[in-house]
Amino acid sequence: MRRFKQSSDHVNMTPMIDVVFQMIIFFVCTVQLEKEAISEFIALPDSPHGPMVTEAKDPRTITIEVDERGRFFIARTPLSEAKLRKVLAKTVIDYGRAGPSIPIRIRADGGAEHTDVKRVLDACTAAGLHKISFVATKDRA
Amino acid sequence: MTPMIDVVFQLLIYFLVTFSTPDVLAHLDISRPAPDKTQPERRTPPKMIRVNIYAEGGREKGFSLNGRTMSRAELSSILNRLASFSRSQTVLITCSGSSAHAKLVDVLDICAESGLNNLSVVSAE
Repeated sequence: MRRFKQSSDHVNMTPMIDVVFQMIIFFVCTVQLEKEAISEFIALPDSPHGPMVTEAKDPRTITIEVDERGRFFIARTPLSEAKLRKVLAKTVIDYGRAGPSIPIRIRADGGAEHTDVKRVLDACTAAGLHKISFVATKDRA
Repeated sequence: MTPMIDVVFQLLIYFLVTFSTPDVLAHLDISRPAPDKTQPERRTPPKMIRVNIYAEGGREKGFSLNGRTMSRAELSSILNRLASFSRSQTVLITCSGSSAHAKLVDVLDICAESGLNNLSVVSAE
């Protein structure tokens, strides 16, 4: 009798904690995966007066990253210049008539040389893309 | 109860340590000349502001406006004044190949501040 009373006093919490723990691990992992689409090693230059990047952006937007050493990345995948040109050209063709209006965001490191940024710009214009913008930090957290 | 509190406390510490507010980002839109190599000399409309960006240590102060060399602060005040006449003027930004990308963003930022939004970026070798 005494034993029964004790077990009803302390409800077994272990399964619930297990489930909660699984869920927390799941959320932590998905947040990390989402963040990994952009490189954290790029020190964006400051632009306190530029227009703010809004969340409601065109889903077709392609973000191209240029690091300090002049390497190109799309979604953290390093690309050679030839490969970048090929990828952009293919994307434009796949979208048909709406292709050239795909917005391009260039996340270039502040210390990157303009020549390397120019190579990306040239690759974009060669593919016919004309909506190009640079990403900069408006307000550092 | 103690083990659960331990776990929750660990998680709380984890989230507190890894918490960081994301930076607010800005986008600076530009336009590029068409990649048409057959195009002869670029026609320069009379109302065009030409800004040149030089590499570190080049051309004295790093920037020039319509041929006059100047610093970032001077460029900012003059562009602001020019923008007060007309905001539809085209700004042709010519970048030296070895200049840092941050300087280009600096100029684009000045243009955004003064409301000039007809920006064209070209590159010089």
